[in-house]
Formats: sequence, structure tokens, C-alpha cells
Amino acid sequence: MTAVESEHDDVRAIEAEAAPTRFARGWHCLGLSSGFKDGKPHTVNAFGQKLVVFQSGDGKLNVLDAYCRHMGGDLSQGTVKGNEIACPFHDWRWGGDGKCKSIPYSRRVPLRARTAAWTTMDQDGLLFVWNDPEGNPPPADVTIPRIEGATRDDWTDWVWSETIVHTNCREVVDNVVDMAHFFYVHYSFPTYFKNIFEGHTATQIMKGMGRPDARPPAKDGEPQMTGNTSVASYHGPSFMVDDLTYHYTNMEIKSVLINAHYPIDAHSFVLHSGIIVQRSDALEGDAADTMARKLGDFILRGFDQDIQIWKNKTRIDNPLLCEEDGPVYQLRRWYEQFYVDVADVTPEMVERFEYELDTTRPVEAWRKEVEDNLARRAEGQPA
Amino acid sequence: MTIRQDNRLLDGAPMLPLRCHQCGTRVQVRKSSWHQTSIQWDKEAVDACLERRASTPGGGPNGDQFPACEALRQTIRQAVLDGAIPVPDDGL
Repeated sequence: MTAVESEHDDVRAIEAEAAPTRFARGWHCLGLSSGFKDGKPHTVNAFGQKLVVFQSGDGKLNVLDAYCRHMGGDLSQGTVKGNEIACPFHDWRWGGDGKCKSIPYSRRVPLRARTAAWTTMDQDGLLFVWNDPEGNPPPADVTIPRIEGATRDDWTDWVWSETIVHTNCREVVDNVVDMAHFFYVHYSFPTYFKNIFEGHTATQIMKGMGRPDARPPAKDGEPQMTGNTSVASYHGPSFMVDDLTYHYTNMEIKSVLINAHYPIDAHSFVLHSGIIVQRSDALEGDAADTMARKLGDFILRGFDQDIQIWKNKTRIDNPLLCEEDGPVYQLRRWYEQFYVDVADVTPEMVERFEYELDTTRPVEAWRKEVEDNLARRAEGQPA
Repeated sequence: MTIRQDNRLLDGAPMLPLRCHQCGTRVQVRKSSWHQTSIQWDKEAVDACLERRASTPGGGPNGDQFPACEALRQTIRQAVLDGAIPVPDDGL
């Protein structure tokens, strides 16, 4: 391909506003809920704050601002006592609803003894918190879908991992549209690619083949992977579920992959990956668990490749795109809805947009059809 | 953050209006190559799409997402063959 002669020789400037200081409205996954169910308080740095996560005696998982409203003690260093978290400084007791329930050395709790509490959801083995800078509860139609395999015996348990990444979380979301990077960074070769943005979901559908130059051929007797089909949706700003099927010459392997994150602050986030694999005749017993671990490792290698790029790149609001690139600007238009008040969400942020790349029909077939069409017209027949 | 315009829409072909031959739904369409198609819907178009109204959710966690309107796909294909939607042909 040749470079098109530029009209003028101005240097293209990279433009970037500062990363937003407010954090996205939506459900954020904090990780496997089992990790928080050990009777101890846990420190989570998220949304520019320090939070405490604890399981109360009633079994519920609670998320509060970690700093005690009394003298600023760190509740995440405290102790769970019954349904409350007790501050390590003066033993003030805070309930999961954010209210101070008692002060052991005082006859009564002062007025306004209330701290910030986040709405939580414990679903499919994962703990979610609802973040909303406006302080509203989650609307009924803004949900995280159920992941059927996560609670079924014929699927493996979650293979889960967490990594801190030192850049703004927009970088990870951008990947949803970045077709070309799958070839150059992840060694896969998409033959069909589609994005759909609508409402609070952003979807990526991809059918691909492994790159033969990047993957050794299967050994004798082992099945050869022929490709994969992936339907991945972000449900809100940070939680992506990928319905991922690997195709082999003689079988299929079904898996669900999670790619989720929560912001620590404007310049760092925690990146989660999770995977479950369906047990089948081809993957009995431990074989499915081994496959899940292998796929988990494979995904982590993919993340490592991304992280290597992210930690060295610059933030860019005006990417210079060629026609072969995906819909980066349309994705960011969608993503912006989570950073403005609900009243300021505009139709263009949520209206349906589709971007499709289908390479399965050769260009020659298109050309031939157009030529035939023109020839028919020239002969006075209807096209 | 300011919402910016795609440089390809500023410097290249615009999105063009197209009516679906099935139900008359009006969307904006653009092709950057034979293989690539962009479709911008608005709420009115989404509400009017007959295929979408007749569709049932697919399986799996992302099954609620309506994948595509086949009638619109055929309409776009015909519009391309008729020259109503231009396709940049770079000789590839």
C-alpha cells in the first residue's frame, strides 16, 4: 500500500485531555466472592478511595468507605463482629448499610453517623459493586447477565487472576474494537469481526483462525485446533463476558471468559481474568480443569502482551485511523455515557451502531457480481 | 471528555441514508471496503425493525444482543450492487 500524498506537511499532533477524575457509573467486579468470605475485612483500593469489604454474620458481603467517620481509623484493619465491622481505633461498629450501629463505650450514637456504602451483588461466584457518582441505586434494566456454567457441575470452577495495571482503564476498553491488534499482538487471525454498541452494552463478535506461523502443529494423535468463535459483550463500563468456543477437527470446547476491571484511581486499575470450561466426552474429569488452567495461562500471556504496550504508550484522544481500523471513535462515544450524569446521556451515546468485517466472501466474487449486474443493465434487463 | 468525530468520516466518505426494502426503516450506512459495513441506527429505526421485533433472545450470557437484520443486510448488498452505496476500490 502506498502513502497518499498529504495536502500539507503539518505534523499530526497527539491530543489528550487529562484522564477523567470521576469514575464510571456501573457494576464493577471485585473478584471471586469466596475470597471475601473468610470472616475478615479486606482492603480494596477502588474509585480513588480505600474501601473495606466484609462478610457480615448474616452471610451478606458489604462494601463501605474504609475510613471511620469518628477519628479516621481504617475499618479494613478492624474486626468483623456479628453483622458489623468494628474499627480498630475505638471499636465503633458499622453496619453494611453504612450506619453506625453502636459505640461500646457510649450511651448513644451521635447524629449523622453514616458512612458511604456501596450496593453489592454476589452472583455466579463473583462479587460486584455498583458505583454511581450521583449516588443512585442501580436501575432494574442495568444488570450483569447470569453465567449458567459458573454454577454447574459439568463446568470447571473459575480459574481467576488479578493484575494491577498502571494506566487509565480506557486502554483496556479500547481493545474491544481493535481488530488489527489481535493479529499483531495476540497472533490470531480474524476472518469475521463485528462490533455492536447499543444501550449499556458493547459487543464484539469474532470468528478466527489460529495463525499457523505462531502456533506449532498438533502432535500425532492430538486434535488440531481449527479456529474459534467468540461473542463478547461489555455489560456496562467494566465487565466483559466472552462466550468462547474453540473448534477442533473432531470436537468443540466451550468456555466462558471474563475480562473485567475496576479503577484504583485515574492512572491505575485492577485487571481481572476468569475462565470456566465445560466438561464433555472429549474433556472428562481433570482434562477440563487442565484445559481451563492452560487457557487461563494463554489469556494471561495475552494480557501481558497488552500491558507491555499500555505501560509504554501515551493516552490519545485523536487516534489517526485508517479505513482498516475498527470503530474506536464510536466505542468512545458509547463509553462516555458512563462518565456523565444520567440526565446528560445523549442519544448518540446509546443508539445502536454496527461495524462488520466479513472476509469470507472474496472480493473477486463481489466484483464479478457487480460486472454481471452492469452487463445485464447494458442489455436493458433489470439488474 | 469531548466526543470527537471519526477522522475517516471527516476526510473520507460520509454515512449515507438507506431505507430497508423490508420495512422502510431508515438507517445510515457506510462501506470502507467490500468486506466492511457500518450501520448507524437511531431509536426510531430500532423500534421499527420488523426482524428485531420478531426475534427471540439467543442462548448464552450475551444472547440478548440482536445480532443483525438480514433484510437490511440484503438491502445494503443490493444498494452496493446498484451503486447507491459506494465502495472505495483500491485495487486490492
